[in-house]
Amino acid sequence: MTVLKVGAVFLVAIVMQLTVFIDVRVADVAPELLALVAVLAGFLAGPERGSTIAFGAGLLWDIWLPTPLGLAAMAFATVAFAVGSIEAGLFNDSRLQVSALAFLGTFAAVIAYALLGEVVGQRGLVDLELLRVALIAGVLNSLIAPFLVRPMTWALSGPLTLGGPAPARS
Amino acid sequence: MALAQRTGRSRHRLILLALTAITLLTVDLNGFGPIESAQRVVRDVLDPVTSLAATVVSPAGDAWNSIFNYGDLEDENNALRAELEELQGAIIRGEADTETLRRLLAATDLAYVDDLERVTAEVKYGSVGNFDDHLITINKGSRDGISEGMAVVTGAGLVGRVERVDNATATVQLISDATLFVGARLVSTDKVGLGHAVPGEAGMFVIDRGTDYPDTDDPTLLPEIGSRVVTAGESSFPADIPIGTVRSVRRSSDEASMEVQVDLANNVDDLHFVTVLIVEPPSEFPLGPIEAPGGTGAEENLSETDEIDETDETGEDE
Repeated sequence: MTVLKVGAVFLVAIVMQLTVFIDVRVADVAPELLALVAVLAGFLAGPERGSTIAFGAGLLWDIWLPTPLGLAAMAFATVAFAVGSIEAGLFNDSRLQVSALAFLGTFAAVIAYALLGEVVGQRGLVDLELLRVALIAGVLNSLIAPFLVRPMTWALSGPLTLGGPAPARS
Repeated sequence: MALAQRTGRSRHRLILLALTAITLLTVDLNGFGPIESAQRVVRDVLDPVTSLAATVVSPAGDAWNSIFNYGDLEDENNALRAELEELQGAIIRGEADTETLRRLLAATDLAYVDDLERVTAEVKYGSVGNFDDHLITINKGSRDGISEGMAVVTGAGLVGRVERVDNATATVQLISDATLFVGARLVSTDKVGLGHAVPGEAGMFVIDRGTDYPDTDDPTLLPEIGSRVVTAGESSFPADIPIGTVRSVRRSSDEASMEVQVDLANNVDDLHFVTVLIVEPPSEFPLGPIEAPGGTGAEENLSETDEIDETDETGEDE
């Protein structure tokens, strides 16, 4: 059941990325919704489940990206693992902290994607533009993150935990 | 103890995922058919959903553009108005020019204008992510006869080449992508070289491979400024598709070869409809191995050679 619910979140995220965020961009940069799903999966479900869900989100995004299959999946899984490994005690799960985590996680995911891309021979991903793209995408995702916490928590079968401990976190 | 076990298990999971990703990357980079087919199936299945959703949310996108891109729209409107006035004048001159144009077409052999089978498509959307500025997706695909490598044009000239084909859509790599190499012919001198877009300079294309600078100072041996540049017959595109016009000519840094800067005929940032020429690209890279001019960085030489080889391999696969 959880797989279906996570799949539903993936579906909504990819459809929004391919429709709304084709036009709705800031300084020609779109939010990275699938990266945000990955970051929140790591945060809410912990490193083990979170990295697996993030891998799936990245794999789905890879299907539309011009880069080879597996690139975003590896970047997202690594970032979700790092986010999930952060000690739970660091967080009180406030909205502000979720946004901060979304910013940092997205920034890291975009940078990791570009660096891994260069490693496998995808040219033109790492340049001065990269920092600008990563920063703006991070800011946009940090604004969207509070709205995505509730559906992600639903998909991971736990109650909403802003203001309390994350239930699905092991 | 339990925490250590959990951490170890998480690390094992991450290693497993990384190995899976590396395997996928390897097989995908080698063009493994079933992987590409599976991706195509997912895109085809979701295409009706995204099309429907796009229709529903398009007013939101329009509203966003009208609010935040108003300045651009105003500039575009002014440019279009000026262009319309110019065209009105051109219509009057047009009748007189028709015969001249016919002769010009015959002289430059722009056969693609009349003879080739074509499919007209609408641009569905531009880049979907933040790293694919030079890709567009069109609303025609393999069921319309489109296949990878086909040339995409507008009335103005070359737009790019079909990069990826699904059942109902296709992705086009634009000529503005510096990694897309095009065999180009300088009409005024009939010389052929290899060119590509200049990164960071919109509308700029440079031919910097395969064209030698004349030994003498005879200016007639150089391409005329403003003269036409078209696809070469020996390229992976059909011959004589307009690419642009010569902006400047200079010696390259090695002093032996020529660097021709070209203003692209097409503004690929603002495309609504395009035409795909239903001509299978040649199975081998027709220009053959072109030696890069000496004196440039080794890394650059290697990467550009890689691109040529990659095209060759793609062709052979087909």
